[in-house]
Amino acid sequence: MRRTYLGEFEEVVLLMVAILDGEAYGVTVSQALEEHTGRIVTFGTVHNTLIRLEEKGFVSSQLGGATNERGGRRKRIFQATALGNRALQEIQQLRHELWQMMPPTKLRLTGL
Amino acid sequence: MKANELHPPHWPRRVLRWFHPEETLEEVEGDLDELYAYWYQRAGKQQATWRYLLNVLSVLPPFVKQRQRKNKYHQPSLIQPSMFRNYLTITLRTLAHNKVYSAINVIGLSIGLAAAMLIMLYTKDEVSFDQFHANNPHIYRITSKSITPEGAENVDGNTGHFQGPKFSAGVPEIRAFVRYKADRRDIKKGTEVKSYESFVADSSFFSIFSFPLRSGNPKTALNAPKSVVISEKMAEQHFGTTEALGKTLLVKDSFGEGNQFEPYTVTGVSKNCPQNSSIKFDVLFPNVVSKQEIESNENWFNVFQNTFVVLQPTADLKKVEATMNRIYLADAKEAIKMMAEKYGDKNKVVYAFQPFTDMHLSKDLPAQNGLQDSSNPMFSYILSGIALFILLIACINFVNLTVARSLKRAKEIGVRKVVGGGRGQLIMQFLGESFILCFAAFAFALALLQLVLPIFNELSNKALSFSYLFDFELVLGYIGLFIATGLLAGFYPALVLSNYSPVQTLYSRFNLSGKNYLQKGLVVLQFSLASFLTIATLTIYSQFNYLTNKHLGYNDKNIITIGKSHMSRNEAKLLKEELLKSPHIVDVAPKNGGSWGTIAKVNGETQQSFAYETVDATYFPLLQIPILKGRNFSADFPSDSTKAVLVNETFVKKVGWKKPLGQVVNFWYNEGEKYTVIGVVKDHHFEPLNAEIKPQLFTMKPSNLYGKVFIKIKPGTETASLRHLEKTYKKLFPINPYEYTFMDEENIKRYEAEAKWKQIMLFGAILTIFISCIGLFGLATLSAERRTKEIGIRKVLGASVASITTLLSADFLKLVSFSFIFAFPAAYFAIKEWLQNYPYRIDISAWTFAIAAVLSILIAFFTVSFQSIRAAMSNPVKSLKTE
Repeated sequence: MRRTYLGEFEEVVLLMVAILDGEAYGVTVSQALEEHTGRIVTFGTVHNTLIRLEEKGFVSSQLGGATNERGGRRKRIFQATALGNRALQEIQQLRHELWQMMPPTKLRLTGL
Repeated sequence: MKANELHPPHWPRRVLRWFHPEETLEEVEGDLDELYAYWYQRAGKQQATWRYLLNVLSVLPPFVKQRQRKNKYHQPSLIQPSMFRNYLTITLRTLAHNKVYSAINVIGLSIGLAAAMLIMLYTKDEVSFDQFHANNPHIYRITSKSITPEGAENVDGNTGHFQGPKFSAGVPEIRAFVRYKADRRDIKKGTEVKSYESFVADSSFFSIFSFPLRSGNPKTALNAPKSVVISEKMAEQHFGTTEALGKTLLVKDSFGEGNQFEPYTVTGVSKNCPQNSSIKFDVLFPNVVSKQEIESNENWFNVFQNTFVVLQPTADLKKVEATMNRIYLADAKEAIKMMAEKYGDKNKVVYAFQPFTDMHLSKDLPAQNGLQDSSNPMFSYILSGIALFILLIACINFVNLTVARSLKRAKEIGVRKVVGGGRGQLIMQFLGESFILCFAAFAFALALLQLVLPIFNELSNKALSFSYLFDFELVLGYIGLFIATGLLAGFYPALVLSNYSPVQTLYSRFNLSGKNYLQKGLVVLQFSLASFLTIATLTIYSQFNYLTNKHLGYNDKNIITIGKSHMSRNEAKLLKEELLKSPHIVDVAPKNGGSWGTIAKVNGETQQSFAYETVDATYFPLLQIPILKGRNFSADFPSDSTKAVLVNETFVKKVGWKKPLGQVVNFWYNEGEKYTVIGVVKDHHFEPLNAEIKPQLFTMKPSNLYGKVFIKIKPGTETASLRHLEKTYKKLFPINPYEYTFMDEENIKRYEAEAKWKQIMLFGAILTIFISCIGLFGLATLSAERRTKEIGIRKVLGASVASITTLLSADFLKLVSFSFIFAFPAAYFAIKEWLQNYPYRIDISAWTFAIAAVLSILIAFFTVSFQSIRAAMSNPVKSLKTE
């Protein structure tokens, strides 16, 4: 299997795109990030990450129709690709397996 | 609240529009607007503005990532042999189709490159001067600085007998020393006597300096007092062979007594000295210091030669200098005291070092007194400046012409782009064109260099040869120069041309945008440089004229001078009698040779230094020097020869006499030697006009020997007079070398430096004007071509040839006139600075500037009008028919 490299922030952004399902663009991703993770990041970070995810093939994008709200400017809607979905699943699965391998006492000791 | 009612601050948005990548601008701007509205609602205006700023910043380069184009095609590598072939074909075709354009560029660039290469050659030679000695950089010259009690300093590169041996005995860091001076001696070959520029050095000479010997032992060659080392050239000249070891030369020491020639054994034949050496000897004698000279400690103050030392590599200069000065103060204590008592000399002397390799380009302590070819670094700067000007102007031509001509090539560029040529490829192509032109220019430049090198050598007093071109560093330099020129000339046009939009060019809607300030600016720059050089040349010409034509205060026409050292009264009298037997010779006046300087007490106390001349009564009438007050020396007053002196006006002024006649002058070295002033002669320029007139004093003192004879001849009798002169001289002084000069020629020779400057500036000015003009010519051609239709319509509507010519020329002439605004002030300050060097100089006149201006405009007008008139005369039917 080809290993997929996904940074932590990239993973979160990819998740957001998947969650927002057809409604993901710069603004909604930023807002969702702020709302659900409490992380306030600059718009540039989100923008760059989306471009990078697209280059890696995890998301695809399309310019949407213009809306009055944005002074007639179009927005770019992002959607997770099949590869993106699979990557997320693989990560999830890997994490799960790793969790299984952890000795049960360890968790208790660290106060969890 | 609706988002579009909220307006994020304007200027960050403008910044965003400027800098954000175009492709993602729309979406990002929209997103940021939406976010602004979101922040506004949640946290108020201030917060929102603040965050908006921060976020705009985060999407500006270099922070923002560039989205790759979806529709990007595969671009083949820039280095494709097949494309190269295409570029080459197109380039050659374009060049062949535009012969004027190609010729202008190649001629300009090759002249520029040749000039730059020449200067690199020159500079390389200058910098490499004296660098070939193995002991460098540890060779130093001992210099002395004398400080008067008032604090005035005078530095001198010369030292005497003592400094070398005494310092080297007392300072362990000094490994060796050598004393070196020039000494003209007469050498006899058969019955012929010739005077040779000879040199004298200590026996350590060949171990300190790397002058290889062909034959002979370098360690012992200069040991014996009656030995001599000669160069291959001298050996060839004198013996006809370089195998001269052990042969004898008959030499007369010019300072020795009597007229005896003594045999000197050749103990070494050296290779000819390299041309970039301050030490250049053909005949080298060992240094012989007499016992008397060593015994008198007063010789600390007798300076007349160069002393070089080799220091230990680890030596601390400051420490060694301090030790040296301690030794001097200890050893010369008595002598210093005595000097102060006897002559009232309270000057302090401090010794220091000057690196041997600094001498050549030094201004304070140049290579003098037996050392040769010291060079003014100013010369290098100005030459480099001119070369740079020329190259720059040639490159400007290239840029201007290429950009102006690009209109015609716009279609080609458009087609290339439409069929998929990338910008990189176009840049490659145009840069390649510039490099091909540059390469052709380079080849021409080499040929040109070969051609001008002899002329340049003559002008710069060098012996540079074409073979130096193949020096590794220089070759690297030339390659660098080639690449730099190619880039300089080609880079900007390549950028401009490759940026054309295919849509516009293919619809023929294309025009050079803006008012083409760059092209105009460059033309102004070119002509500023050209006018600057013109003004400089005119000034140097007038100053040179002034120097050579200024009345010197005496008449130097029809005067032959001959030299004969140590001529006694009787010899002079005999010579005069013999010479006057010829009807062609008007009169004969002997004078002391060389320049003597001395000091005397005047008004009882004041010390006055002056040039001390020994003449006879014929001297002033012969040279037509007026006597302003009193009278000339005369045979009617027998006491004149021992008791009377004449002084010049400057002397009187310096001393401050109201009534000079009858005043007493007392020579400082002899209480009893007192003279009365019997007359004042008019100031005359005996020295070159680069120096101010010094106080002069004339005596007839019989014990002073003569060294020079002025012979006034009747005009037009040069050949006969010279024949008589030579015959008489050879008869009276068979063992003295006979050399003569015409005084007026000799006087002009003094301004050799100015004459060279004149030539170099003239060449520079002509070249800059020429290259600027061919550039202008090219631009005018293109502009006339571009406006063919306009001209056709104007003619059809009744415009005259004159009005069209004016129309086309006016634009360029305006630019040329505009260039004076920059050229005039710069030239004014430059020539003002230069003229400061001359105590006798011309005034800066407005005429110089006016002439330069008229000249520039006229030349530019002729250049431009040629094309303009042709365009104006053309048949309008032809140009309009095609529409």
